[in-house]
Amino acid sequence: MTDATIMYVFLFVSLYFEVFMLVSFLERRGQKTVESIMNLEKLPHFAVVVPAYNEENSIGATIESLLQLNYPKDKLDIIVVDDGSRDETYKVAMRYTDDPRVQVYKKENGGKYTAMNFALARTNAEFIGCLDADSTVAPDALRNMVPAFQDPKVAAVTPGVLIKKPETLLQYMQEAEYRLSVFNRFTQAALGAAFITPGAFSMFRVSFVRATGGWRHAHSTEDLEMALRIQDSDYIIGNAPGAVVYTGTPRTFAKLFHQRVRWTYGFLRNALDYKHMFGNPRYGNLGLVILPTAVVSIGIALYFFIRIVYYTLIDIGHIIMRYEIAGFFFHPAFNPFYINTSAMWFLIYASVTIVIALVCTGSFIGTGRAMPPRGTPLFVIFYCFLVPTWLGTAVIRAVFKTGVRWR
Amino acid sequence: MMDPVIGKRHARWSSYLIAFLITGLIFATAFYASNYFDNQRIADVRNAEDDVSTDILSIETQFDLLSEHSCNDISENTILPSEMTSLGNELSYLESEGSSNQGEITRLKSLYSILEIKDYLLMQQLAAKCNLKPVFILYFYSNKGDCTTACEEQGDALTALSQTYPDLRVYSFDYNLDVGALQTLISIDNMRYDPPALVINGKVYYGYQSVADIEKILPQLKTLETSTSTATSGKK
Repeated sequence: MTDATIMYVFLFVSLYFEVFMLVSFLERRGQKTVESIMNLEKLPHFAVVVPAYNEENSIGATIESLLQLNYPKDKLDIIVVDDGSRDETYKVAMRYTDDPRVQVYKKENGGKYTAMNFALARTNAEFIGCLDADSTVAPDALRNMVPAFQDPKVAAVTPGVLIKKPETLLQYMQEAEYRLSVFNRFTQAALGAAFITPGAFSMFRVSFVRATGGWRHAHSTEDLEMALRIQDSDYIIGNAPGAVVYTGTPRTFAKLFHQRVRWTYGFLRNALDYKHMFGNPRYGNLGLVILPTAVVSIGIALYFFIRIVYYTLIDIGHIIMRYEIAGFFFHPAFNPFYINTSAMWFLIYASVTIVIALVCTGSFIGTGRAMPPRGTPLFVIFYCFLVPTWLGTAVIRAVFKTGVRWR
Repeated sequence: MMDPVIGKRHARWSSYLIAFLITGLIFATAFYASNYFDNQRIADVRNAEDDVSTDILSIETQFDLLSEHSCNDISENTILPSEMTSLGNELSYLESEGSSNQGEITRLKSLYSILEIKDYLLMQQLAAKCNLKPVFILYFYSNKGDCTTACEEQGDALTALSQTYPDLRVYSFDYNLDVGALQTLISIDNMRYDPPALVINGKVYYGYQSVADIEKILPQLKTLETSTSTATSGKK
């Protein structure tokens, strides 16, 4: 197969997936959404766990935002689990124990999943979830989740995750990425095909979690494994975009790289653990489209990246060669004749246009306004060059089963 | 913000089909648009060739009427080297882009080669009769894959020379083009198939020739105005 043929096949797969998601969203819009039950008598008991490791700077804001939740005090437990921090995290958290909703524990460091299981053993709430210590919630976040749990088959509900005020260029790009995730999470939930329950404020039915053995290490991505487990057990994952969570994002490339290697590594390793779901019609859209595309898209992104790097190096080689031959750089004048109008470029433009449309749709779902975030142009142009770096690293590490660390 | 959503597990084949049809439509539109712009470019090249062809015919006719005209009238109306170079570059670009209309591109390329030969012959005749001193280089290349690096380097060296000496006339020919006039030109110079090859002042040079090599072989280059001097005089 020639390079051009491979490119067209990959472009078709990428475009098909984008179009499929958009079509699914539009089809969903015509349907009825979950009706609200705002009867205070019926509101269930929630436990929100804040697992923390060396979060002395941010944990105060996290607990305060939970205390601001517009939810009956007797139906909310806030369980802070200091996972063996070496800083003042425990001391900062203890300042809030005057409030009867707040419980603070300290345990030996064991990872996030152990902190979650620690809290699970100490609550009699009906639903449990976690809020990472770098995140805060909007006051109505919990209330907006409740309607989705009316169906007893719903084992988890994911929130609408937005990012805290971006400061660096990288964070501006991530803002657009997170809007795209809002769209994906919403549409995947509509398709019955969500496979990630983000650590930031996803809520779970306690009976399901206990019945299936609590949280697992799951290659350092316990939230992803839990989602696959729910799907494997024929339960449902809903999405409540109105349950808004503001999460902190990595400021530097090194931190972003580390975080994303962990996510991708976790996805690949968990995908192997749940490989029976791939291509399996029993799992509907998840098995037939969403999971296979998630894996294939890693390969596609790496192929595109390697191709771009290869041709860029060749072009640089040509420029150097021409300089050596001519003794000066050629300055070609602009001539519309030489604008690349190959079908491949039109398809790339189409793909980028659809991505922007999806970001706008994600903004609409998550904020009520379709205006894309300011970082969208940067995201569209540059982010595609960053993603393959952690995808490639994660693939290599997954092949050699190196494991990944949280920090 | 939208209301919560929960979806039961399902797979709607109609959604898959609709997405497939839309994706197919996007692909068809992309190929149609690409083909449309390709045809536009081919039409541009065809028009440019027609113009050059008409100009050459006009000069030939003027040449035939030379006894009744001064050499000045003719030399002022000759085809500029940059026109031919630009046309050649556009054809190379179309060829390298792998257009679906390769047959038409080959036809245009054949016509371009014939126009180059006619221009070359005409300029030789004009030089003899009107005491002009045009400087020529005939460049023979191959794009069959047997001369990739050397031909690229030679092309770059000649482009650099053309940029330095705008009045230099470089005629480039594809060895493998099945055009009678071109094959005759090759046989006249007793050339063997060994691209890249240059014909300078009637002598054949095989293999890559650098800018310095060519400047050494072709001292007449010194008689041509350089782009720097042209630019300087243009500013005055």
